[in-house]
Amino acid sequence: MALHINLYHEIQKQALVRRRDPLKLGMFGLLIIGVGLVAYYFVRVEQIASLNTRVATLEQEYKKYEPKQKAAKAREDELNENIKVSELLVKRIEGRFYWAPILGRILQNTPTAVQFTKLNGVLATEPFQPASLVMTGIAGSEVPRKTAEDLRTTLAEKIAPDFKKVEAGFSSLEDSDVNVTVAGQSRPVANFIIDIHLKKTEPAPTPVPARKKVAVAAQ
Amino acid sequence: MKLGKEEIKKITLSLMVLTGVLYCYTTMLLGPLARSEAASQGKIKTIEPQIAEAKKQLQKTSAVEARAPVAAAALEEIKASIPEGAPVAWFPPRITEFFKRAGIEKTQARFVKEETEKELTGFRKMIWNIEVPRAEFGVLGAAIAALENEEPLLEVTTVTVDALKDEPQFQHATLIVSTLGK
Repeated sequence: MALHINLYHEIQKQALVRRRDPLKLGMFGLLIIGVGLVAYYFVRVEQIASLNTRVATLEQEYKKYEPKQKAAKAREDELNENIKVSELLVKRIEGRFYWAPILGRILQNTPTAVQFTKLNGVLATEPFQPASLVMTGIAGSEVPRKTAEDLRTTLAEKIAPDFKKVEAGFSSLEDSDVNVTVAGQSRPVANFIIDIHLKKTEPAPTPVPARKKVAVAAQ
Repeated sequence: MKLGKEEIKKITLSLMVLTGVLYCYTTMLLGPLARSEAASQGKIKTIEPQIAEAKKQLQKTSAVEARAPVAAAALEEIKASIPEGAPVAWFPPRITEFFKRAGIEKTQARFVKEETEKELTGFRKMIWNIEVPRAEFGVLGAAIAALENEEPLLEVTTVTVDALKDEPQFQHATLIVSTLGK
């Protein structure tokens, strides 16, 4: 093998050293980092700009919706108030206490041997509290106490279907010294006071068709 | 490779300059961007729920508007059933006329008091006393039935019926009624 002598090795070594100069390499690295940082800065600027554009769009959108929202809120409040008042009125109308059917029942179920001298019906001030009906009268028959008792039970029984609870009791039942003449015959008399408590179904009873009630009371 | 004294100086100086440049870069360039981003994110976080709320409100109002006509019609119907003017001017003649039609010639209605109805905006509750000096029980019952049916805003709160001393087949009645006025 022939001996090969490189006479340029000194020159080549110097060129290599020049190429690997740390300062030069460092400057080159710094330049790359600098370019990267500048590029990153512009990317960030672009991101923030698009974010700001989005904020502006949203603000514009909200400006468009805000007056509509206020108007809608006011309208909703107004409508809700109307709905509430309307519902309360309907509830009030449908939940009314009707005296006529009770008076009709009394009329239908009072025997000829009984005469009422006073009838007083009062609604409770609180809703769904029992109404009270106090009936004062006289019963003139062979057994006036039984006649009065029959009247009490009959009325309680006949009125009960229209109510949740009906309680009927005597607050007074006394024999009288005087007799009455019924159908030409003298009969003993008992004075009575019947107290009836009527409790409506909660929250409100199903309203009976209006015209039907007139018919019931008129019977 | 061994660094000379001069080269170490250059590197140290370069590192110091680099540190300064990086500091300026982060505080003076990236810093304001980060603050601006945070502010924008904050605004988005505030506005987006507001827009969603506004849209929800519009939907809610639409839903209420959909069921409002029924209530409005009922309300208008009820309001229309109440005559214009002071109730004391129209209610007593109306009641007298009503009982006349029902077969009871003489009736007298008197205003008792007015009560507040907080929940019923635009309406006021009035209490009246109706005196029926002489009536047959059956006729009176039918009249009360008709009154309760024809006057939906009226409720009889108290009914008192007494037999007349001289004519026990006839009764004297007192009705306390409540009604609504505009």
